[in-house]
Amino acid sequence: MRMMAATRENRSQVSSPSAMVKELIDIADYIANLRDAIALLRANELTRHRLPMVHEELSEVVAATAGATNSIMGNAEAILGLPDGPGYRAAVEAKIYDIFEACAFQDITGQRIAKVAEAMSQLEGRLARFSAAVKARDANGIDETEAERHTRNEALLLNGPQKGGPATAQDEIDALFA
Amino acid sequence: MALDLSMPILVVDDYQTMVRIIRNLLKQLGFEDVDDASDGTAALARLKGRKYGLVISDWNMEPMTGYELLRHVRADEGLRTTPFIMVTAESKTENVIAAKKAGVNNYIVKPFNAATLKSKIEAVCGA
Repeated sequence: MRMMAATRENRSQVSSPSAMVKELIDIADYIANLRDAIALLRANELTRHRLPMVHEELSEVVAATAGATNSIMGNAEAILGLPDGPGYRAAVEAKIYDIFEACAFQDITGQRIAKVAEAMSQLEGRLARFSAAVKARDANGIDETEAERHTRNEALLLNGPQKGGPATAQDEIDALFA
Repeated sequence: MALDLSMPILVVDDYQTMVRIIRNLLKQLGFEDVDDASDGTAALARLKGRKYGLVISDWNMEPMTGYELLRHVRADEGLRTTPFIMVTAESKTENVIAAKKAGVNNYIVKPFNAATLKSKIEAVCGA
């Protein structure tokens, strides 16, 4: 009994009933804001429509690029293999028109990439708004698979292509091998 | 010393388009005996089965990279003298230096042209 009384006394010292009510109201407001923020994220729409669309569009881009490259290379190889003779020019022109046709892929892939960029922009906006609303902080440490990939990339110097062209010009590389 | 156009060449790249481009450039230079592999592991298997006069390899491949392939080749008693040219989009100086330390004979940055490929092959295989 004496212990319970002491606990009650401690509570009253920590926060008065009015302060507790205010805290509860704050918590309720925070939860209401959180629910709004989650709703605005529209996670279902993202996972059911937007992100699958991004995968599909990028797959189409890869397929169209590969198809166009094959067509262009196939026609170029065919030109190299054409025999000399009276029909040479006409045959070359036919192959060149096929190459022009194959190059049309860029228009379509450009539109597909624009759709992907728009979806990514919307996702970025929603995540930024959500992050600000819930005052999100990143947890320490990184995903194990991501860490493994990072370690491998560092060990094997997998830097990938650099923005704006090669980081080291061919001439500079040649100088290292001179 | 003239280039031996009959020497077998192994092209290692995970992008078939790039393999096709290099094959065509090599054909243009007069090389007809060209094999290919899609990563370092497949390339090593080919190298164990046939003596190649030159390896032309990309860097960034899965599961075994061109850099790992180079180190395996240089560590193997039977393969260590095989001329090796790296053809890659990895253009940082640290990549070039690491490849040189590992024993690469020459290094070409993508995109490249037939003249560059030819000059490096000549430099490595002797012209």
